[in-house]
Amino acid sequence: MSGYRIHRPGERINRQKPLSFVFDNVQYKAFSGDTLASALLANGVRLIGRSFKYGRPRGIVGFGAEEPNALIQLETGAHTVPDLKATQVELYQGLLAGSTTGYPSLDFDLKGLLGKFGRFMPPGFYYKTFMEPVKAWPFYEKFIRKAAGYGRAPTEADPESYDHLHHHIDVLVVGGGAAGLWAATLAGRAGLKTLLVDEQAEMGGWLLTERRSRIDGLSGMDWVNQRLAELASLPNVSVLPRTTAFALHDLNLVQAVELLQDHLPLTERNAALPRQRLHKIRAHQVILASGAIERPLVFGYNDVPGVMTAAAGHSYLNRYGVAVGREVLVQTQNDAAYEAALDLALSGVKVTLADARQGGAAAWRQQALKNAGAELLLGHGIAKVLGDKSVSGAQLVKLDARNNQVIGSGPRLSVDTVLSSGGLTSTVHLFCHNGGRPLWNQQQLSFVCPDEGRENIACVGAITGRWELSDALDQTHATVAALLLGHGRGSTGKAPAVASEEVAAPRAIFRLPDGKPEGHGAKAFVDYQNDVAAADIHTAVRENYRSIEHVKRYTALGFGTDQGKLSNINGFAIAAEALGKPIAEVGTTTYRPSYTPVTFGALAGPHVGETFDARRYTAMHASHDARKAEYEVVGQWLRPWYFPKPGEDLHAAVNRECLATRNSVGVMDASTLGKIDVKGPDAREFLNRIYSNAWSKLDPGKCRYGLMLDENGMVMDDGVTACLADDHFHMTTTTGGAARVYSWLERWHQTEWPELKVRFTTTTDHWATVAVVGPNSRKVLQKLCTDIDFDKDAFKFMDGRSGTVAGLPARVFRISFSGELAYEINVDANYGRYMWEEVMKAGAEFDITPYGTETMHVLRAEKGFIIVGQDTDGSMSPNDLAMSWAVGMKKPFSFLGKRSLLRSHTAGAGRKQLVGLLPLDPKVVLAEGAQILSNTDDTVPAAMQGHVTSSYHSAFLGRSIAMAVLKDGSKREGDTVFVWAHGKSVPAQVVSSVFVDKEGVRQHA
Amino acid sequence: MPKQGFQPFMESPLHHFKLDAEAQPRRADGRIWCNELPHLGYAVLRGDTAEAGFAQLVQQVTGLALPLKAGAVSQGPQGVLMWTSPDEWLLVSHRQRLADWTAQLDAGFAAQQLFAQTVDSSGGLTLAWLSGTEHITVLRHLGVYDFESIPLGHMVSTILGKATVQVIRLDSDGVFVLFRRSFADYVWRLLRRAAQPYGFAVCQLEARSDHPLFAQLAAPRPSLILA
Repeated sequence: MSGYRIHRPGERINRQKPLSFVFDNVQYKAFSGDTLASALLANGVRLIGRSFKYGRPRGIVGFGAEEPNALIQLETGAHTVPDLKATQVELYQGLLAGSTTGYPSLDFDLKGLLGKFGRFMPPGFYYKTFMEPVKAWPFYEKFIRKAAGYGRAPTEADPESYDHLHHHIDVLVVGGGAAGLWAATLAGRAGLKTLLVDEQAEMGGWLLTERRSRIDGLSGMDWVNQRLAELASLPNVSVLPRTTAFALHDLNLVQAVELLQDHLPLTERNAALPRQRLHKIRAHQVILASGAIERPLVFGYNDVPGVMTAAAGHSYLNRYGVAVGREVLVQTQNDAAYEAALDLALSGVKVTLADARQGGAAAWRQQALKNAGAELLLGHGIAKVLGDKSVSGAQLVKLDARNNQVIGSGPRLSVDTVLSSGGLTSTVHLFCHNGGRPLWNQQQLSFVCPDEGRENIACVGAITGRWELSDALDQTHATVAALLLGHGRGSTGKAPAVASEEVAAPRAIFRLPDGKPEGHGAKAFVDYQNDVAAADIHTAVRENYRSIEHVKRYTALGFGTDQGKLSNINGFAIAAEALGKPIAEVGTTTYRPSYTPVTFGALAGPHVGETFDARRYTAMHASHDARKAEYEVVGQWLRPWYFPKPGEDLHAAVNRECLATRNSVGVMDASTLGKIDVKGPDAREFLNRIYSNAWSKLDPGKCRYGLMLDENGMVMDDGVTACLADDHFHMTTTTGGAARVYSWLERWHQTEWPELKVRFTTTTDHWATVAVVGPNSRKVLQKLCTDIDFDKDAFKFMDGRSGTVAGLPARVFRISFSGELAYEINVDANYGRYMWEEVMKAGAEFDITPYGTETMHVLRAEKGFIIVGQDTDGSMSPNDLAMSWAVGMKKPFSFLGKRSLLRSHTAGAGRKQLVGLLPLDPKVVLAEGAQILSNTDDTVPAAMQGHVTSSYHSAFLGRSIAMAVLKDGSKREGDTVFVWAHGKSVPAQVVSSVFVDKEGVRQHA
Repeated sequence: MPKQGFQPFMESPLHHFKLDAEAQPRRADGRIWCNELPHLGYAVLRGDTAEAGFAQLVQQVTGLALPLKAGAVSQGPQGVLMWTSPDEWLLVSHRQRLADWTAQLDAGFAAQQLFAQTVDSSGGLTLAWLSGTEHITVLRHLGVYDFESIPLGHMVSTILGKATVQVIRLDSDGVFVLFRRSFADYVWRLLRRAAQPYGFAVCQLEARSDHPLFAQLAAPRPSLILA
């Protein structure tokens, strides 16, 4: 044996393709087909990390998703990935990895010193120890945070991409072992649209390791290849390796993540392809063939590097040509581990097998092992492992034949590796994600899925506790054949033939006794990742944690990136013993997604960067870009916020825009307002019911402002609606409220008033709207339009006209959100930018000034116009807003919110009402959201009177103004109140919320 | 006095991507081929199929049978008529023809006193054409609907990413994706991103005089629309 590599027939590595990689700054050699774990073991690297709580040296334990210890940091910089399991990282040329633990170094770890006092760190140690004094917690926390956790999250943006793919299929098979391959074959032959996923790079499952079985006369892998060839020939079947089904949701939605490029060197990854793909699979039938995972036995110092599962030792040997040691002790309580011992012995490794059973395995297995030169110790168990950073030996004890007790001392063996097998644990996770419960099988010593599965979820193979290949394939065949019959598909032929073998029953033992009371001997770990020992579970039970869910949370059993794949059953069994209950009664903790960790990138998929969220643009956007607009997001819309000239900040630009608009003419893109076409003979009646004010007498050519109330009488939206014809209205809504209002209209029409003949069509996107605002706006319009009479008496405030503007058919409304003479021009949005530019040209002689949402806010606040959602918060009635004029209590039919307006609380005194505030110091701009007090006494708890809703500097008035909601505000005009923010009170006078042009002269000009 | 000689110009919702500049003749090279069909006319048609005369009038004016099954699409050389809900359809045609149709339909509805209407949506919608062997896969990357199951001559309203779209399958060559103007930038970027693994290319729009949608591009673009 050179190093730890051994040539094995059928090994999965390619010796023609040597690779080199770096781990913890040391360069090593490996082969294509290796995992990082197999490559490290091949190079004799054992110490991979330090444990979470005690800083104990830890090595590789498993060979796949079950690995609790070997968490590594892969690559550096933007490509770094924390906490990958070395057992799942496929090796590539130049791979760079390192350990995630150990401070100041992996070899010498401070926490490791602390761990020597592990006896004094019981479960709940941190809760119990750092309680007092309370003020010292931030100090403790700093050190505890440093001690906690494994890898480091990347600090740079991820340069790789991810995507999602949805599937709608007949059959999803999870697991590409013998059972899954056969299930997929049967479904595929029946013509069903079938998808087979497996987490590993290669299909085959346990057949990748186990080489003795023959299926239909073929070797295991020949049979696998035959299956894969057949599946590849079926156009209705897809096979996805490197794809982990990590969650099963209601209605058979399964999420699976495919690692498309993780196995490639960074330099060879295709930038056009995603690194990982999240598959969202909706299958009529799910077939779970996710197999089983071997769990270790629990014994003293079972965490020393060099202690592994027997399945791991077996797999490293047969799949990767790596002998995990030169002198190996295999500890088992079942027959299967004999296979590992046998193959190791046949490979020249010195093997001793200790079997907890007095009678050992089936006679033929014992004989085979002896023939291979291995030593067999029946009725023995490991009391403790010897060695610190690597196994140097093991102390055995003799076990009682029935009771799990020590009856005598055993030999002290000098070995460099210990493999243990406590039997198999069915991988029931997916079955349980959405409510399925596994059953305890006392013969197989595992929680298993029921044979009958669940509705549209079938379970085949080892997931049902069928450990023997012949049983698993027979059950798979019978189950899938019955399913296909249910689908009306015919004969499925025979199950693959596998000779059945005699097997001796396993021993029901989980914790190997060492002859000492629990907690007094060598620490025996149940959960490696969270440093949970058998004694900790006993302590938790002693401290009266009775439910396994509570034991889990108190001890941290089964948490972490491995989700307790090795530890759960052992933990449940030890808890059951401590509780004096059968395991079936103790039950399991709850299995939740994800089965294995999933990157945030895969979950986010394409919803990042420029496609993170829908960004909505108006037709004039290019014009705004050309004028260097700064933008803000309103709803999903990108709206111009302000248009700074060189050297201007927000305030300077807004002051200029406000003055230009009040003194000459401004222009704003109002396209984002929601627009709904309302048409039908009952349109008026519908508006009467949906708005608080009356619509019966609005003539064609007229517009009206309306308030929409919810059922509680509170304002939910507002806007101007124009009457185009007796049965036809053009409704506008707030920008953010458009979709909600549209649904609101449809909901009331469809569910409550279907008898009304009216229809609604969204036209928000159809119309591009240019608002021309200010005393010169009429002159601008007159330059663009000849067929509308703009005379002040012919086209009054709140009138609407159809005509031709800049050569285009347009709807023009004389409405104003600023208190100025103003017009809104609506045209087909394909002409939106054209119209904007024509308005700019026509307005050039008046120095027309484009303005954004900030100036819009100031102009409307100067006029006391509310913004729903800013000055209202879902608890403001029209009366609270001093808008009783917009409520038609005498309408013949009721309207939404009417009844609520009459309820005692809504109509009573003490409600907050909209007012204006003038800070006594006109230079002070009040903080929006600031609380209002009646006096300067701000002793907690202060009697809060209301809060500031809108606050600006008004360039037009040369001072600050604010809008606020104030208790009984309508009666408090003239009062001085105190606005509290940032630790001080600012006095302000309560005034009318209309600051500019109370008489409305300007907008009626 | 208003100046004379206005020269209105249209800009489609995807105008800013300057798709014409990068368009190439479509090839069967495994890539996703895509382009916008700009400046088509769209109108929402509302009516009650139980009212005598409604379906007849629609067919008489447009030459298209009113589709009555969910998602069904009527098509002819002059345009398409799509079922979008039990009392709602979408008409797509050349802008000028659509304006003529809607005027005739509204006049007919009024004359027969039908509770029916048309609403011009030409400024608010656009269509993208998506083809190439993996064009359905691109949709599968973005939306939960079973796009493979859409029969020829059908459409479905669904979500791509976070935007509502209609996916229309007229033939097996590709699909048309219909979306709102304001979401156009987002939808196009999504399609482009999802197509990346297969290669993404902008195809020249084909002048196919017998095609219900491409044929509507062949006629000269109007400089004006009707209100």
